[in-house]
Amino acid sequence: MISLKELQDEFQRAVLQGETEVLDEINSSDKEQREVLLGVYQNAYGLRLIEFIENDYEKLGLLLGDDQFEIMVRAYIANTVSHSPNARHYGDRLPEFLKTHEPFSNAPVLGDMASFEWALNKAFDAADAEFMTLEDLASVEPENWPDLNFAPHPSTTRLDLATNVQDIWQALDDETTPPAIEVLDEPDRVIVFRRDLSSMYRSMDYEEAMLWDEMSRGVNFAGLNELSATYADEDEASMRVAGYLKGWIEGQMLAA
Amino acid sequence: MDEQLQKPEFLGFGLGLRPDHYSDILDGEPDVDWFEIIAENYMVEGGRPLYNLDRIAERFPLVQHGVSLSIASTAPLNMDYLKDLKALARRIEPKWISDHLCWTGVHGINLHDLLPVPYTEEALDHIVERVKRVQDFLERRITLENVSSYVTFKSSEMTEWEFITELANRADCWLLLDVNNVFVSAFNHGFDPMDFLNGVPPERVVQFHLAGHEHNDTYIIDTHDHDVCDEVWELYAKALKIFGPVSTLLERDDNIPPLEDLEAELRIARDIGAKTLPEIAMAATQ
Ligand SMILES: [Fe+2]
Repeated sequence: MISLKELQDEFQRAVLQGETEVLDEINSSDKEQREVLLGVYQNAYGLRLIEFIENDYEKLGLLLGDDQFEIMVRAYIANTVSHSPNARHYGDRLPEFLKTHEPFSNAPVLGDMASFEWALNKAFDAADAEFMTLEDLASVEPENWPDLNFAPHPSTTRLDLATNVQDIWQALDDETTPPAIEVLDEPDRVIVFRRDLSSMYRSMDYEEAMLWDEMSRGVNFAGLNELSATYADEDEASMRVAGYLKGWIEGQMLAA
Repeated sequence: MDEQLQKPEFLGFGLGLRPDHYSDILDGEPDVDWFEIIAENYMVEGGRPLYNLDRIAERFPLVQHGVSLSIASTAPLNMDYLKDLKALARRIEPKWISDHLCWTGVHGINLHDLLPVPYTEEALDHIVERVKRVQDFLERRITLENVSSYVTFKSSEMTEWEFITELANRADCWLLLDVNNVFVSAFNHGFDPMDFLNGVPPERVVQFHLAGHEHNDTYIIDTHDHDVCDEVWELYAKALKIFGPVSTLLERDDNIPPLEDLEAELRIARDIGAKTLPEIAMAATQ
């Protein structure tokens, strides 16, 4: 008799690769052939994973339309198995997949949309770390400011988007006609974050995005001031850095 | 052992908690006695899902229902998953923790389906041992649910209800009887659903599931996207007669209607309960 382990190995291969050896172990019913009955599991596998991706990438689905979306997701499924008990994690490799696999990589708007939606999902259920407040900052003695380090809140993601995907996402969210897809001359530098439990996003100008990225890498307040001073008007550099910091703190974008 | 069996309390009539209904639940007074949550949906780090769950846990009894325990798998138990399960239980203090008598994958892969088990002595030994280890780790009895299945295996040596009974008694766990799954599997495999209901030990059954399904002429698929059908309501009434007042839960996972529609469907279960069992009728008037 076949062992439980062999039976499960064969059954899994039937679901993942369409192999038929497990049919030898299965009865037909009074009403239906065993091929059809096994097919219930084989069909359900793809449909379930498509549903997971639909839930996490709603706007990508709207952008592609049902048929193209299914073709795209089936390609992802053929390339990606789930290792997580949580369906929410299955789509984590989709942005990378779309950026690195033809024909999807030929349309950068797809990878952009996936990255953007994934960042919004992350903002939704990332860890509840305490966020830094203006009072926290005020409690630091001025002479200690140069050494201050900051950390992004776990809910934040910084993205450089090559296309006008932000406008497309917003139009789809408003249920209006999205603008034509455009590849931008300069990337759209976006920060996605969570404020009062809601996922939010906004664009940053070059200087703010640069300072955010360096802050995330551990550059302290003095270092941020220096970077700012080399980028634009030296005399107002520390004012500008302080202004950005205030915005990040009010946006609940920094961890305590 | 059996004399010591103290079943958890009767919770009344509940619904599966779905995000679509968060605001109606939190802002209203839904006619729902308790909620069942899908454990994996709350195995996230923070944010709104856990915030909402905490608010709901303050007001309603909860049961923690999982889909990835994979108790029948020949792959090793996933200890990280079990730790998450235990942490969630510590957070919301569920009345009990349930999952399915099935496997979800091997070799580190999750197929996200409730896959069928051959009813053999080998499988029984294997699953009994795993249930005991899970119960030791979670420091409580777990509750296992019968699934809908579409195939039967040539290697099976006993019926599903014999297998489930033996499992529950040997592993000392609770059972969640999904009435719709009994109906679906009975149709698919050509057995009498009453043989199933009469074949499982009433002292082990702590919960019922009710759900809708999709009829494909030669087989039925357990889709949870329709209302409960008349035959399943009839079977539910018979189950109440056999098992007494058992906490009843209406599941809906797809094609999810407004909360008030599910409250109305749940009232059908309440009415059947009150008509069938004087204990439930008494409780309803209090
Ligand atoms: Fe169920």
